[in-house]
Amino acid sequence: MSPSAPARGATPRGIEPFQVSLERFEGPLDLLLHLIRSQDIDIFDIPIARITAQFVRTLEDDLEMMPIERAGEFLEMAATLVRIKAQLLLPRPEQPDWDEDPRAELVRRLLEYEHFQDVVHVLEGAEAQRGRHFGKGYIEGRPVPALAPVELELTLADFLSVAARIPEPAPPIEIRPPSQTVTVNEKVSLLRRLLAKAKRVSFDRLFRPWGTRAHAVAALLAALELAKQQALRIEQVKPFASIWLLPGDRNQAPPAAATTETAEGTE
Amino acid sequence: MKVEQIVEATLFASQTPLTADEVARADENLVAESVVEAIQVLRDVYEASERAFQIYQLGDGYQILTRPEYAPYLERFDSVPRAPHLSPAALETLAIIAYRNPIGRIEIEEVRGVSASSVLRTLLDWELVEVVGRGEGLGRPLLYGVTRMFLEHFGLKDLSDLPAPDELPVVLGELQQAMEAEVEEVEPEAEEDGATESAPREEAEGEGH
Repeated sequence: MSPSAPARGATPRGIEPFQVSLERFEGPLDLLLHLIRSQDIDIFDIPIARITAQFVRTLEDDLEMMPIERAGEFLEMAATLVRIKAQLLLPRPEQPDWDEDPRAELVRRLLEYEHFQDVVHVLEGAEAQRGRHFGKGYIEGRPVPALAPVELELTLADFLSVAARIPEPAPPIEIRPPSQTVTVNEKVSLLRRLLAKAKRVSFDRLFRPWGTRAHAVAALLAALELAKQQALRIEQVKPFASIWLLPGDRNQAPPAAATTETAEGTE
Repeated sequence: MKVEQIVEATLFASQTPLTADEVARADENLVAESVVEAIQVLRDVYEASERAFQIYQLGDGYQILTRPEYAPYLERFDSVPRAPHLSPAALETLAIIAYRNPIGRIEIEEVRGVSASSVLRTLLDWELVEVVGRGEGLGRPLLYGVTRMFLEHFGLKDLSDLPAPDELPVVLGELQQAMEAEVEEVEPEAEEDGATESAPREEAEGEGH
């Protein structure tokens, strides 16, 4: 899309001096308006060929560096300009009506854009004026004094000696699980096992290792049960003396019970 | 306690503009009208006594602000960040919205010749514009208008503080006149065509549906 030969008597003069950077411009309309206004061109009689050439020339330098969306906006305008130029070259009706001038829509947009640039100037002025009024809180309150930096006056040895004084963490507190259910049958088999090995068994031995009332109750019930079966005899010399359990006439330990019991049974 | 002093205390204590209704909450006996009257009295008092501040109307709110001639002194205290200046793109977009209120994104882009979606998002974030409705066109596009914050940012009472469109240097009517002149020059009977062409914007917006 190189600038083609100047049409309708427009000359390429003026192309060279207009080396402007696209960054300055908000968009294609901004650039176009700059080209027109800076050359004192009558906006109602835009030399499309010359302006198109200048427009495209400006694009060529910066287009590759532009984000694609922005580039597209400029290219769209370039295409519009080329289209207008082509339409101007077509044979036209005898009376050139403004409505049929291919440039009319572009001129309308340019003027509208320029109109809003004036509004922008008004807003800029208002913004600057507003910026000269200050409300409460503009100046910060009493300054907070900054904390003075403190030198670290500690050697590694100091640090370690302090660290050594920190006590070891206390051992975790043991938590006994709640006692399991004690069955009379367990005590029965324990009692049978002990009697099989010993001539006599102290009643205490049946529950003291566990130290709970439930074990004592279960042991007593077991002893009474076995006594009822005449598997053992209970002897007590006098009230509150030790209770001894002795094998009865029918003491026979069931073979299965021995393996499941715990190790407390050892002497 | 005089009404003026209650109003003065309320405005003095506020860091943002307060509407007359908001000020009136300070006392059961206050109504918006008496607040407005009191503000006028206070303004005259400040003026007469050459106070360094004045009560300014920003949008529908009132705020005590320093007079502009003291700005050079206050600007030496740069501890507080200043309100940012808006970018050219933001100003352009705001200009269009302020004058064509309410207006859709497509119409804004037609005027600017560039995309407006990201700048619109920024302006919405800053609460300088807001969605004021939906258009009649395809997909019922969102319509935007400027906000109270816009008026506060630019120090305007309302949009009529901005110059009327025909007071601006480039008047859109210029195009209309030029067109009509050209049409008359060539073919006087084509005048009504020129007249309809001269108001393309309203036509375009109305045709959307």
